[in-house]
Amino acid sequence: MSYFLQLVVSGVVVGSIYALSALGFVLIYKSSRVLNIAHGQIIATGAFITYALTVFAGIPIVLAFLLSMVITFCLAMSVERIFLRRLIGEPIISVIMVTIGLMSIIDGLIYLTPFGSENFSFPEFLPKTPIAFWGVSMSWTQMVGVVITFTMIGGFTWFFKKSTVGISMRAVSDDQFASMSVGISVPKVFGLAWATAGLTAAAAGGIIGNITGLNFDVLHSFGIIVFPVVIVGGLDSILGAIVAGIIMGLIQQFASGYLDGKWGLFGTADVLPYIILLIILLFKPHGLFGIHEIERV
Amino acid sequence: MKNKQVTVMRIALSFLLVAGFAVQAVAGETYKMGLSLAITGPTSDVGSPYAKGAEDYVKYVNDEKLLGDDKLVCFIRDDGYKTEITKRNFEDFLDEEIVFYLNYSTGSTMALRQDFQEEQIPVLPASFHAGNLEGNDYIFLPIASYSSQAVGLAEYVAANHKGSGKPKVALFLHPSAFGRAPRDDVKKSVAAGLGIDLVEIVEHGKDLDNTAMLKRFQSKGVQYVISQTVQPPVATMLKGAQSLDMIAKTYGEAGKITFLGCHYGGGPALVSLAGSAADENYYWTTSYKMMTAKGPGRDAQFALAKRYGRDDKLAKDANYTNGIMVAQVAVETIRRAKAKGKKITRAVLYEELLAMNGFNAYNTLTTVGPVTFSKTDREGVDTLQLYVSKGGLFYEVGAPFESEYVKKIKQ
Repeated sequence: MSYFLQLVVSGVVVGSIYALSALGFVLIYKSSRVLNIAHGQIIATGAFITYALTVFAGIPIVLAFLLSMVITFCLAMSVERIFLRRLIGEPIISVIMVTIGLMSIIDGLIYLTPFGSENFSFPEFLPKTPIAFWGVSMSWTQMVGVVITFTMIGGFTWFFKKSTVGISMRAVSDDQFASMSVGISVPKVFGLAWATAGLTAAAAGGIIGNITGLNFDVLHSFGIIVFPVVIVGGLDSILGAIVAGIIMGLIQQFASGYLDGKWGLFGTADVLPYIILLIILLFKPHGLFGIHEIERV
Repeated sequence: MKNKQVTVMRIALSFLLVAGFAVQAVAGETYKMGLSLAITGPTSDVGSPYAKGAEDYVKYVNDEKLLGDDKLVCFIRDDGYKTEITKRNFEDFLDEEIVFYLNYSTGSTMALRQDFQEEQIPVLPASFHAGNLEGNDYIFLPIASYSSQAVGLAEYVAANHKGSGKPKVALFLHPSAFGRAPRDDVKKSVAAGLGIDLVEIVEHGKDLDNTAMLKRFQSKGVQYVISQTVQPPVATMLKGAQSLDMIAKTYGEAGKITFLGCHYGGGPALVSLAGSAADENYYWTTSYKMMTAKGPGRDAQFALAKRYGRDDKLAKDANYTNGIMVAQVAVETIRRAKAKGKKITRAVLYEELLAMNGFNAYNTLTTVGPVTFSKTDREGVDTLQLYVSKGGLFYEVGAPFESEYVKKIKQ
């Protein structure tokens, strides 16, 4: 039983981190219908900024973590302002191609720094002794990661449901022209969507970096790893990102825990999410919680 | 008058021609070699220090005139770990008339081995896969193969296991030819009598968490995990094991797991990545000397790094040593051919490499044993050294050794 419980706890931990990583995709898509291919690079940038502030500038890690979110918020907003604002109204494929270009630019810039090709790890600030209960263990890093993830997800859910800005963002997502006609600034909403996505990416980068260590290749690959989560949950649904994230985390743990090593099977945790993705899309092409728009001509 | 002018001009022209040839003779020959590797992209944490090691040693050779008045040029190009770019780089290097080639990954070495055979060019890759040696005659492994490393670690486990019965071992492998390289040889060694119980062979993915795998290992009584992969997945596994309180505090501690790794699955860069999860009791084997091993090799490496403005972290990196060592072998081959008065060609350097054995073995100082090659042995340094991490540094455990079972299964 404790084995099962351990897999559940680990699945929820991993799944919540997937959800936080996926949130950046959702925030941008929800308001601007753009899929940001460079999201993994922004996750890595956030992690490296936290490290640089802590180790090179000597700022306490908690403060550095918060500061990195602020910096990435501003950086992502600038990226939108410089590269993407001019593309409002252009075909969506052009915007996606720009995010692919952005990915290469960020890659190139990071390779100019030691972070591109060296390994680092955050200074350890949490107790090393794991938290143990009912025969289940988890590290303090994982616990803090889960708390941050759920706090941020809760905050964004409230933001989109209750705040004026959040409702404006949803309105822009539904209909840009109608939003403009009631006085909502669409460019500002796009900027804010990118900025908040940057903020969540920095948070995700900080948490993932604490779990895996800081290696650029590992960090930016999370932009791809969470892709099934984004699609399964529905590209425009925060709730979808949470549910799909946790489902994927649990599937991976159960697959690895119960299937690997039996009948000559290995690596099922890598394959199963994509099989589930295909099955779900077969029945729900917009994902579990994605909005199915009906156009009347 | 006109005849006199023509004569003076002829003399002046002759003088210029003679002077020109003389200057060329003084300037000496220029030898070219190429290195294509991942300075960016996957495994750039290995490729970047490797490139710097080779670059610094070549600069040193030219600055110190180790090849006399001759000059060595090493073209270093990034391939981003993409085989198609490696091939393009190699072809560009051939256009530059290189006489020696340094390759990098297992995948690209396997893919280009036919090209190396056709071009008849000696090649030293960063990959230590024994399979590189099959189907061609021109690839030479700098140090003991991954098979020798993994089987060597398994032999150490078998010989030093403290509990009763055979030690239960799992292999943690990269999902590629590089990771799978030693798998069959470990199995063959077990079949040949190596005293371990090989419980599981896992090929990892891009996991954020290895809890399920580690718990499965624990339920099967696995006490030792041997990794043949790169550092990031090992770091994630170790951090996971730390969060589950599974890492053995002493070698072979009952109820816990002792982690061991082959060359690219350990070293100082692993400690940089995994922090406290790897800084104590992680066992690692390589043929390279560590910077904790006092001696002329360590002093020379530190001096080289300092001379070319490298930082302390790079100076201690095992893959900086790795890059220096392959350049050392290439330079030594050229130096020996020159000393015999031979013109430096690919064929001559190939012959020199094959003659690097017995009294002609090459002691690099950066490795734990001499480099020996012959027609029947293209694995350079045969000996391995076991290291263990203490306080974040790797220290020698026992004397250098050779894998007995790899010899047995190859007979």
